[in-house]
Amino acid sequence: MSRVLAIAFKDLRSTARNIPALAMMLAAPLALSALLGFAFGGGNGFSIAATKVAVVNLDRSVPTAGAQPAQPAAGQTVVGIMNSKDLKDILAVTSKPTVAAARKSVDDGKSAVAVIVPADLSKVLFGTNATARSAIELYQNPTQTVGAAITQSVVGQSLLAFNGARAAAVAAQSLALSAGNGARAGALAGAAAAAYVHQSERGSGGLTVAQRPPELTGGKKSKDIGVTGLVLAGMMVFFMFFGASNVARTILDEERAGTLPRLFTTPTSRQLILGGKFTSTFLTVLVQAIVLVVAGRLFFSIQWGALSAVSLLILVAAAVAASLGLMVISLVRTPAQAGAIGGGVYLVLALLGGNFAGTAQSGTTYATVQRLTPNGWLLVGWNSTLRGGGVGDIVLPLLVPLAFAIVFFAIAVLRFRRRFA
Amino acid sequence: MAIVEVMELRKQYDPPKGVLAVDGVSFEIAEGEIFSLLGPNGAGKSTTISMLSCLLRPSGGDARVAGHSVVNEAQAVKEAIGVVPQDVALYPDMSARENLVFWGKMYGLRGEELTRRVDEVLELITLVDRQKDRLEKFSGGMKRRVNIGVALLHKPRVLYLDEPTVGIDPQSRRSILDGILALRDQGMTILYTTHYMAEAQELSDRVGIVDHGKMIAVGTNEELVDIVGAEAHVVLSIDHYLEGMVQRWSAVKGVTKAMIDEEQHAVLLVQDANEVLPRLFEAAAAAGSRITEVSVTEPNLEMVFLHLTGRALRE
Repeated sequence: MSRVLAIAFKDLRSTARNIPALAMMLAAPLALSALLGFAFGGGNGFSIAATKVAVVNLDRSVPTAGAQPAQPAAGQTVVGIMNSKDLKDILAVTSKPTVAAARKSVDDGKSAVAVIVPADLSKVLFGTNATARSAIELYQNPTQTVGAAITQSVVGQSLLAFNGARAAAVAAQSLALSAGNGARAGALAGAAAAAYVHQSERGSGGLTVAQRPPELTGGKKSKDIGVTGLVLAGMMVFFMFFGASNVARTILDEERAGTLPRLFTTPTSRQLILGGKFTSTFLTVLVQAIVLVVAGRLFFSIQWGALSAVSLLILVAAAVAASLGLMVISLVRTPAQAGAIGGGVYLVLALLGGNFAGTAQSGTTYATVQRLTPNGWLLVGWNSTLRGGGVGDIVLPLLVPLAFAIVFFAIAVLRFRRRFA
Repeated sequence: MAIVEVMELRKQYDPPKGVLAVDGVSFEIAEGEIFSLLGPNGAGKSTTISMLSCLLRPSGGDARVAGHSVVNEAQAVKEAIGVVPQDVALYPDMSARENLVFWGKMYGLRGEELTRRVDEVLELITLVDRQKDRLEKFSGGMKRRVNIGVALLHKPRVLYLDEPTVGIDPQSRRSILDGILALRDQGMTILYTTHYMAEAQELSDRVGIVDHGKMIAVGTNEELVDIVGAEAHVVLSIDHYLEGMVQRWSAVKGVTKAMIDEEQHAVLLVQDANEVLPRLFEAAAAAGSRITEVSVTEPNLEMVFLHLTGRALRE
């Protein structure tokens, strides 16, 4: 055992003295995570910059006869919804006096979208002519597709409510006419539509949708997680593969430098020598993962989760990275091949496993593909611990990658045995 | 008593059509003896050492080192030997001391014994002052000394040195050769491979001459030189008509062999240089050629190789 540790310690010392390798293993994932984290709004949640919207409201309320209360102005309701507190992080609304001013704001790049509420919106909405039409115009910068889509969604939601109001009005009118009360039919229809719009302004009615996060073991509620944590977890697993590859590649380097054949002339058995190489690879990526997790906690305030679950995930991730690194090295002949083929393998695994895309694609084909890779399962595990999950929540994300690691290691041992027999 | 017995050792790479690098080599090395394998590059010297180090499995035959078979008792053989590979096989990003400590552990040394042996070896290779410097800062000769020191850590019974002086300066070469003689004086058995005739002649108690994977002669220097008898080695340069002259000289009385070497000199083996040289000059003059340079060498291993193979031992 001491010979295994001597080999492992020797490799660890070499890695620690290799500044470019350290930069690749530690600085690169931290820097990428920081960049991506800041790009998506920091560490406390997924957010994007509010879409700048220029609004011109040409709509006016429809006057009513007699003692009937004035109908609300539908245009004002749309503008009110867009300016609501709930949407202030998503939409930054600026009122414009004219259609030309609103469009110019988009043309000048000051706004992503212009929302033009037509003058006849309320008239069509509250009128009794079932065939009348009106449209809110969205004038958008073609390059700002995300902002335009968000604005369209908000405005579309309002119009959906208005169309419901209009349907209610038409139904009320039909009822009044069928009851022989034709004189009050128009007023009834208007009142029904107004009630619907008021309801929309206040929010949902009696029926609501209750949002509930998934439950974790022990009845704990799943937490919202920061984007930086997820990004760093993906980067960490990805760069652990590269880190392991760098250390495992020393087998080829030593073979070429003559130190591996010389080791084979000593009384240290080949099994112990390869065991030392696996141990050094495993310990290197283990240290790498621990440093990245601690750095993530210190620099990005990432709450990784329960210590026991996080520790197990790190150990399994290190085992996968080390055994995969050894397997790749066992399949190639030269360091150049290791770089080219290994790089390709790790990149494809990262793309399939979701290291760059996260694990939020539940139910899709991509989510199924992710589960075919060890790193995909590891990311599911990290997702769970970041949400507050414990060991009980990551049993499969631990066992499946461990099975991958055993298979990779077995292939590596068989290949090395044949090569160095 | 023989500490190394090599019996019909054979190695073919990628059989059945691959190169036959060693073809039925047999020899013995007595305890405390320096035995050199002398031969040109590609003769099979390194392959033989690799098999005796249990690094390569023989295709046929066997060898016993310190009483253990290299085929069936590799572990016991490895404990008895120290191997100095042809190229420096060390870790350049580690210091001389770190290298020695690491390799000592690989030879099973621990604790105080390891520290003591590392100190002793550093003294032996005269690198105590530079022990903390990384190897990448060392000269070629210093690296060679560490390379040899590693193989001495566990006090092996047999030391294999595979062309340890290739590519180093004369001063370092002298230092290494003196060190090897000192080790022999301490009772260590040494198997030395080289293609430098002078080294083999100076160091060895016995020499095995190998060529094309075969052992073509084994013996002491004197025994081997006797093969060529009292023949002298004459090298001649002429101004022109070299091939024709070599043909003419081969017919001169007293010349036993005549050939052209790689540097376009005429190389002759002659029975009595004093008598034959005037005849060689006469023959050249008769053919209209002028001899521009002459050298005469007493019988040596180079001539033995020439005599046995018809080729010069290229240095």
